[in-house]
Amino acid sequence: MSRLLLSVRALYTVSPGPTRSRGAVCVSPGLRVPPVGLPWTLLAAGKKDAVELPVLNEEELEEQFVRGSGPGGQATNKTSNCVVLKHVPTGIVVKCHQTRSVDVNRKRARDILREKLDVALKGELSEITVKKKESVQRKQDKRRKVNESLEKKRLFKEALAADTKPSDV
Amino acid sequence: MWKKCFTIMGYKSQLVCVHVRCCSGPALPVHRITALQAVHSWSQHFQEKGVSEPELSSHYITAHVLGAKTIESVKKETLSELLSPEDTQQIWRLCAKRLQRLPVQYIIKEWDFRDLTLRMKVPVFIPRPETEELVEIVLSDFKNQTGSLSILEVGCGSGAISLSLLKSLPQLTAVALDQSEDAVNLTKENALSLGLQDRLQLHHLDIFKDAEAVVDHCGGVSAVVSNPPYLFTEDMSSLQPEILCFEDPAALDGGEDGLTVIRQVLILASRILQNNGRLYLEVDPRHPPLIQRWVELHLEELRYVETKHDFNNRARFCILQKKTNKQELQDLD
Repeated sequence: MSRLLLSVRALYTVSPGPTRSRGAVCVSPGLRVPPVGLPWTLLAAGKKDAVELPVLNEEELEEQFVRGSGPGGQATNKTSNCVVLKHVPTGIVVKCHQTRSVDVNRKRARDILREKLDVALKGELSEITVKKKESVQRKQDKRRKVNESLEKKRLFKEALAADTKPSDV
Repeated sequence: MWKKCFTIMGYKSQLVCVHVRCCSGPALPVHRITALQAVHSWSQHFQEKGVSEPELSSHYITAHVLGAKTIESVKKETLSELLSPEDTQQIWRLCAKRLQRLPVQYIIKEWDFRDLTLRMKVPVFIPRPETEELVEIVLSDFKNQTGSLSILEVGCGSGAISLSLLKSLPQLTAVALDQSEDAVNLTKENALSLGLQDRLQLHHLDIFKDAEAVVDHCGGVSAVVSNPPYLFTEDMSSLQPEILCFEDPAALDGGEDGLTVIRQVLILASRILQNNGRLYLEVDPRHPPLIQRWVELHLEELRYVETKHDFNNRARFCILQKKTNKQELQDLD
């Protein structure tokens, strides 16, 4: 776990990006191995707050296209362009049919996946931090209660001593 | 009511009659309805009539009438609002065309290719998603190159490949050809609307009849790119009606072995490519080994570099390279 934390810290810096619009929904169908050799750059680009999202390894991805079983190419004319992308190590699945271009949907699916991966990894980080904070808080509460309790006993004792002491009147 | 649809197939004139049942669909609603109701009504009707992609067809047509590209990008509130009578009529008019198996792209007269929106027009060939990957392959090869680049596209159709490359590579100039005047006109229209006309030269030429003119116009290009007709003639008759009835068969039929046009492109490329310039082809999955062998036997100027697969894992793209004079001499030993 500590090794994961170290590598995750090395990967990125700032808060997660904006949430995506409709058309990106998590599903989990059966998937098969994708073609290789996609020449896309994997870094987030064009965002003012310069988010560094996790880098995707194409070999860890499985991609599926809802285009039916036709021969493809010139022999098929379909308008379906939905892309389903699965990140095998984490099991996270992204579905994208935001645009009318398969190519753009594939790229967007990867962007969305990177954001979800970011949240998933960061999410674990935050959980650990939160748990730590909770633990510290509990200890502080306990110490405070003990101190209050001790203080009450001291005051009680003082009051008791003041009552039993003979007055000089 | 039956409508006959005639298609002239291949280089021999064969009249193929495809009877497509045609009716006007559900009646125009008397009372106003919402977009969602229209979508649902037509999806159901397309399904009943055996129209392929019944839901998607309904989605794309309705979205288009509402001014959007996809139904997902239309606001939920808008989908639940009552449609204007004009919009309702328009949806009904366009959906009726889909009953005749007119492709959605021809009905809405546009489609997207990578990050471009292109105008579509019968019978000019509708770009396929596999071809988007062909453009990616060319772009990745050109990625690190500085200085001016030039390409020739053979069979430009709507202009998808050339215009996409021109948009992504500001230093690129392109020459695009098509033997169809409709295609040349449509490419010109798309180039103008995208503001890319200054870097594009268009010619209405046939690479068989006007081979010498092609060589004259395109000497010394950095690359040749083509999605030439590559279907086998015998496979043409089993095409879906959307293709068979409406797209130009000359953009599809590659002859008996699907290689008739491809061979001519290979020959021309071997003459016009700069040394080390590349040819990028989209082909039928059966073609790569055949092309490799044919080039080895007949075109010593070209070297077969690589076969790449499409997103459905089919062999789809062939990359070849023009040898230098030194390489040619070495090969002779």
